[in-house]
Amino acid sequence: MITTPDLIESLVAGAKPVRRLRPPAARAALWLLFALAIVSLLAVSHGLRPDLGARLDQLLFVTGLAASLLTGVLAAVAAFIVSLPDRSRLWLLLPAPAFALWVSTISYGCLTAWVEMGADGLRLGEAVDCFATLVLISAPLSLAILVMLRYTALLEPARVAAMGALAVSAIAATALSVFHSLDATVMVLMWNLGIAALFVGLANLFGNKIFSLVAPR
Amino acid sequence: MSSGPHNRGPDLTLVAEAAPSSVASPRSEQERPAARELDWSIYMARAQDGDGEAYRRLLEDVTPYLRSIAARHFQNSGDIEDAVQEVLLTVHAVRHTYDPARPFGPWLVAIAHRRVVDGLRRQGRSRAREVALDIEHETFAAPQANLAETASDGRVLRDAIEQLPFGQRDAIRMLKLQGMSLKEAAAASGMSIAALKVATHRALKNLRKMFGRQGGKT
Repeated sequence: MITTPDLIESLVAGAKPVRRLRPPAARAALWLLFALAIVSLLAVSHGLRPDLGARLDQLLFVTGLAASLLTGVLAAVAAFIVSLPDRSRLWLLLPAPAFALWVSTISYGCLTAWVEMGADGLRLGEAVDCFATLVLISAPLSLAILVMLRYTALLEPARVAAMGALAVSAIAATALSVFHSLDATVMVLMWNLGIAALFVGLANLFGNKIFSLVAPR
Repeated sequence: MSSGPHNRGPDLTLVAEAAPSSVASPRSEQERPAARELDWSIYMARAQDGDGEAYRRLLEDVTPYLRSIAARHFQNSGDIEDAVQEVLLTVHAVRHTYDPARPFGPWLVAIAHRRVVDGLRRQGRSRAREVALDIEHETFAAPQANLAETASDGRVLRDAIEQLPFGQRDAIRMLKLQGMSLKEAAAASGMSIAALKVATHRALKNLRKMFGRQGGKT
């Protein structure tokens, strides 16, 4: 085994100047700008949902949209803050109120729509399209936040991965509800909650390994 | 790559103000943890800019402190040193996450606790699979490793030599057990060198035959 003084010598010998991280809020803003770019590109190529104007007059839809967007923004900020070693874990609660509001609007919309439309509101074609959009949004966003937070593999991987996944899910859900008229069915609940739970669950299971792939060592 | 231009303003003034006091009174570090922490903060800020000497002083200074943190959780000195080295490696890998405008202590302690917890988990996992090895438990597949059995092997060999005919027994004792030369043995026993050689050869052959029945080794 290498002795500690020898280790210190080798670390000093290998120490190059490093670039300090920008403040977490600035880094979160950078990531959110990237998310905005992705979503805008998709909006151009895919087009908005036809009934968006009418839906924007409905308080429930607007509340849900704003809540999911706010959840995404706050979760991203929380992920970047908590990724630093000396910050309080209480920052993890930052997106909690917005998340609660978002979840409550989804459930309510789903229940009312279920009564109105019945179970045949689901269509495979729309679902597949919806899924493709979801992957197109989530994949680059997840990859970007993974690389930006890679040093956290050595620190608090599970919590940061869960927060990052929540941010990605919320942004993806916000974009989906603008692109697809698939709301008011079980589908929305499945996508929005299911994907968030899946991301968070996977991140918790593999948090360590996911970040280790890109960890600085 | 040179260090980034951002996030520098307050640190440079901090360094300029505090550096003389830290250099002038290195002895007071033990009494004043706050001053010590400020020194560490300055060293780290310089290390981030590529100052190797400041980096070495920082790592050497924090090592005893890290050792005291690790010693609260591990008994074995090897485990303590492992934990200290893990923390140093992590500090090295994530040193760009330290913001010199903030205190250094919480940053270091958070990393140290993270590595200590990892070390305890690893220890827990290996303890669940492994059994501590005492001297009394030394029993290995290779017969050479079992000292108690070697002793009994020696006894068996001596008993076997006792059973040899008179001339062969003396030849083996003098030449193989007592380590005499052929000349010395010839003088001591009055046998010729040729006779001693023949007796030794026959004795070894007989012993080989005796042990061949048991295990096939001389």
